[in-house]
Amino acid sequence: MTAATPAPLLEVRDLHVEFRTRDGIAKAVNGVNYRVAEGETLAVLGESGSGKSVTAQAVMGILDMPPGRITGGEIVFQGRDLLQLREDERQKVRGREMAMIFQDALSALNPVLSVGEQLGEMFVVHRGMSRKDAKNKAVELMDRVRIPAARERVGQFPHQFSGGMRQRIMIAMALALEPSLIIADEPTTALDVTVQAQVMDLLAELRRELDMGLILITHDLGVVADVADKIAVMYAGRIVESAPVHDIYKAPAHPYTKGLLESIPRLDQKGQELYAIKGLPPNLVRIPPGCAFHPRCPLARDVCRTDVPPLYDVPDGRGSACHFWQEALHG
Amino acid sequence: MAELRKNNEAAVDAPPNVTAVETVDASTTQEAVAAIEAPVERGEPILQVRNLVKHFPLTQGILFKKQVGAVKAVDGISFDLYQGETLGIVGESGCGKSTVAKLLMTLETATAGEVFFKGQDITKLSGRALKAVRRNIQMVFQDPYTSLNPRMTVGDIIGEPYDIHPEVAPKGDRRRKVQELLDVVGLNPEYINRYPHQFSGGQRQRIGIARGLALQPEIIICDEPVSALDVSVQAQVINLMEKLQDEFNLSYLFIAHDLSIVRHISDRVGVMYLGKMAEIGTDTQIYDHPTHPYTQALLSAVPVPDPDAREGRERIILTGDVPSPANPPSGCRFRTRCWKAQDKCAEEMPLLAVPERFKSSDTPAAHESACHFAEEKDVVHAA
Repeated sequence: MTAATPAPLLEVRDLHVEFRTRDGIAKAVNGVNYRVAEGETLAVLGESGSGKSVTAQAVMGILDMPPGRITGGEIVFQGRDLLQLREDERQKVRGREMAMIFQDALSALNPVLSVGEQLGEMFVVHRGMSRKDAKNKAVELMDRVRIPAARERVGQFPHQFSGGMRQRIMIAMALALEPSLIIADEPTTALDVTVQAQVMDLLAELRRELDMGLILITHDLGVVADVADKIAVMYAGRIVESAPVHDIYKAPAHPYTKGLLESIPRLDQKGQELYAIKGLPPNLVRIPPGCAFHPRCPLARDVCRTDVPPLYDVPDGRGSACHFWQEALHG
Repeated sequence: MAELRKNNEAAVDAPPNVTAVETVDASTTQEAVAAIEAPVERGEPILQVRNLVKHFPLTQGILFKKQVGAVKAVDGISFDLYQGETLGIVGESGCGKSTVAKLLMTLETATAGEVFFKGQDITKLSGRALKAVRRNIQMVFQDPYTSLNPRMTVGDIIGEPYDIHPEVAPKGDRRRKVQELLDVVGLNPEYINRYPHQFSGGQRQRIGIARGLALQPEIIICDEPVSALDVSVQAQVINLMEKLQDEFNLSYLFIAHDLSIVRHISDRVGVMYLGKMAEIGTDTQIYDHPTHPYTQALLSAVPVPDPDAREGRERIILTGDVPSPANPPSGCRFRTRCWKAQDKCAEEMPLLAVPERFKSSDTPAAHESACHFAEEKDVVHAA
């Protein structure tokens, strides 16, 4: 990792999460490490089942337990290990110090409360404001995320807003108490591209304005390229590659990242046949021994089938969990 | 009509074999079926859509329903699909692209307009002739989780089309046919007795494709076939679809919102906005030389997975949302979000035609575009 980093805002150390399922224990997160500094944007990239959302839920403290269970690790936020806090102390961190933006705004908002009430609730609960003041605050927030005619629309219900507007309300809600960390879980996946661009721009701008840390969870390599400072790529519950955003696109150091980048068609040129990573993502109940990616990997050798690769140091503050990262980087 | 003009190498002004196909009575059903079964040369139009309209009525009142308006989901679109090609249709949600798919499948009845399959207007067919058309136009759905019946085995799912069209596969032969299909889409033929839940998303989509192929159709309509899949699996399915197209000489109508994937797979691309076709042309014409402001905005909004290429690109960020199709703007439907809009745009609806200024030249900008102020602008490549 970069040497001269200030004390990080958030540091996740060796986090392990598992779920009890009918088929056995599903190991969703297997030793994840990452850190986010103040004002920094970290993108966590991965396919479904890679553990990217579960890690975020563990950080937020909203993991369903049971069936989920945190079996090891630390989540150090502003110098305190969140996993050691009592639930009521945790409650004070959530919303005030860190907030989350969910993918599907329609199901994350309460359909029977007006958006004004839902936004104002934050101030009533956390700041003890009166309902009237809270409503004014709600209007202010809606202005801030550029919802037109905020004063007229504050009494409307979620279904009366379009998808992009609903996502703005989600962002407003996350910003309400000016937290120092925002976790956005696929914030634009459900939106159309033209609206997606609007929402992403808004999010990036507000993040700059308030100097917050941002964890952006996504499966879209394109969205990440636009806003992130650094990227962590996850596969089968581990981080397989981490690097500053430019480096990863120019020269990926892990065969999985490389495969992902090659398998997406380009907008600006007509390609030949697409490169396809063979096989399927692993079943988390039966993660392959050694490197979890070896059954799909073009570089796999015997050592990959037996030894789990650590996150090797790659020059320029990067990391790659591949025994043959040099080959991946240069080959 | 101007819409009938095609902008292809073999430009033909009048619609070719789309002569009057009035009602099909019993005596001509034979002929209709014969026409439907007749082969079409590669590069000839196989499906011709003319001024297709679908309005969904909005009603008020419980006992005496009164129509108070209509959602104009598809409002007069025309295009051709050529034999052996892939025509991509892109647009944002609510633009009517899935309704077009349903109309072509005759799952919905068109409010107006015609769809000619090899010269037969399928909106007016019935009985045996319609059945023959339906055998030839099959569909692959978006969501491989809900489009397969969880209580049926894979063999039953893929073989079910044969119950309706037994002439394609005689009873004793079906199991073998289904196994062949499984093999063709890259699944183990031994899986014939398994259930959908035993497969991953990508494998399920292969099952959906096998079902689409079962009746040996000539056209497959794919409605967002890979958008529910993970990135690493998308490429596998796209490659499979391209392989199958070559192998079985299929024509695809490929509906998607992902512009990069559409470029990859399509020979020609149509861009839809609020029930209208905004622009249509070859993939190079649309992506490298777009002339409609909506296409330009759409393309510039696509995040490109390359931070360096991104920096040189111009970004057009549209304001506002798509208006309601129940109450579309007058004139040009895009004018409420367009930075070029002038009074003319509110008064006069732009027709889908090759813009006057490009007509005489053979630049790639000379393709059909429904804009009064069509102008070429490359938004995809870094400056």
